[in-house]
Amino acid sequence: MKYKDYYASLGVERGASEEDIKKAYRRLARKYHPDVSKETGAEEKFKEVAEAYQTLKDPEKRAAYDQLGSHAAGQDFQPPPDWRQQYSDSPFSAEDLDLSDLFAHLHAGAGRRGARRSMPGQDYEIAVAITIEQAFQGTQIDLDLNMPEYDAGGRLHRTPHVFKARIPKGATDGQRLRLPGKGGKGFNGGRDGDLYLNITLRPHSLYRASGHDLYLDLPLAPWEAVLGTAVEVPTPGGVVRLKVPPGTQAGRHLRLPNRGLPKPREGQGDLYAIVQIVVPSVIGDSERDLYRKLSEDSGFDPRAHFATEAGHAT
Amino acid sequence: MQLEVTEVLWFEQHELSLPELADLSGLPLALAEELLDCGALAPLQLRRARTDLRFGSAALRTARAAGRLRSDFELDVQALVLALGLLERVADLEAQLRELRAQQPQPIL
Repeated sequence: MKYKDYYASLGVERGASEEDIKKAYRRLARKYHPDVSKETGAEEKFKEVAEAYQTLKDPEKRAAYDQLGSHAAGQDFQPPPDWRQQYSDSPFSAEDLDLSDLFAHLHAGAGRRGARRSMPGQDYEIAVAITIEQAFQGTQIDLDLNMPEYDAGGRLHRTPHVFKARIPKGATDGQRLRLPGKGGKGFNGGRDGDLYLNITLRPHSLYRASGHDLYLDLPLAPWEAVLGTAVEVPTPGGVVRLKVPPGTQAGRHLRLPNRGLPKPREGQGDLYAIVQIVVPSVIGDSERDLYRKLSEDSGFDPRAHFATEAGHAT
Repeated sequence: MQLEVTEVLWFEQHELSLPELADLSGLPLALAEELLDCGALAPLQLRRARTDLRFGSAALRTARAAGRLRSDFELDVQALVLALGLLERVADLEAQLRELRAQQPQPIL
């Protein structure tokens, strides 16, 4: 079993008072709690802080922790033989357990020994990043979770759970899916925990998702925007032909109904092609001549409203 | 090593009663009732008897956040309602931001 320095996790001395431990926890929880923090790695950091606090805030667990001695963080160690007798009411295998498992199942104190309450299994939440194509078609992901549970002989172990989970089409950014009973095993008749998958969509080179709608930039040449055209546009379901009306302005959203991501029950989001008017960076002499002729012949003034608006302002 | 199985996921179709919601989020039932009374937990349909109220995945998400915040910050009901209200506003603003970002054309280099 690897040693964890719970005092270092909270940034306090080994002799810190209960009040100091609580203050340190509150400060760190405020900073790293996954519901309120957007810092990178906040969730992992909070788990470490919460695990340390769960043990150190309870005087009996803290005493049990202190009796494990002081080791370097990450160093392999074994709880002393008398420690097992004094604090653990279940046999356990120190090799495949995490220190947190030991304290989560610790029944310190003779008064509580034997009082095995039924406890629900732990819920787990994991982040799953999928591509827009996977959200469109649905997908399967491989899950490999390592959870503490009791074996038939009542010994606590870390047990690997490997299974595939089907993500139905229609999952999108920010959605959560629940796998009932796939979390930690319940203890002494308690219900099994659930597994929650928090879905995020990976950035895509063409599409941007908002709910079940997709947005795509549609570059047009100036003459295509003026004269109108029909262009082939990629969508997750395949290429479609989109009619661009004459006089299409930059920034206009051309809607392709039901070409976005499918919705969970029925229906489908839309795909919006956002017009961008793009000019060539290199042009030949004949093109330049044509643009010059256009500029001489055209009566179009794109800034006509400047004069009007400026007049209003004075 | 357990056998590999394929799971079909529960996906927003399930509706939960208040006791089920409390059980899944680790909230005492009395506290879940208080959160309901304060409007922090919203049922799918209003104007039903309390025993008939059903809750969807949005309420489960809120209730689970309430369960975490309560145990991790030792919040009382008032603080919990305030925190949940602010988190809901943050989530709304983030959704608006996502939508605006999605609509924002990317510069062509």
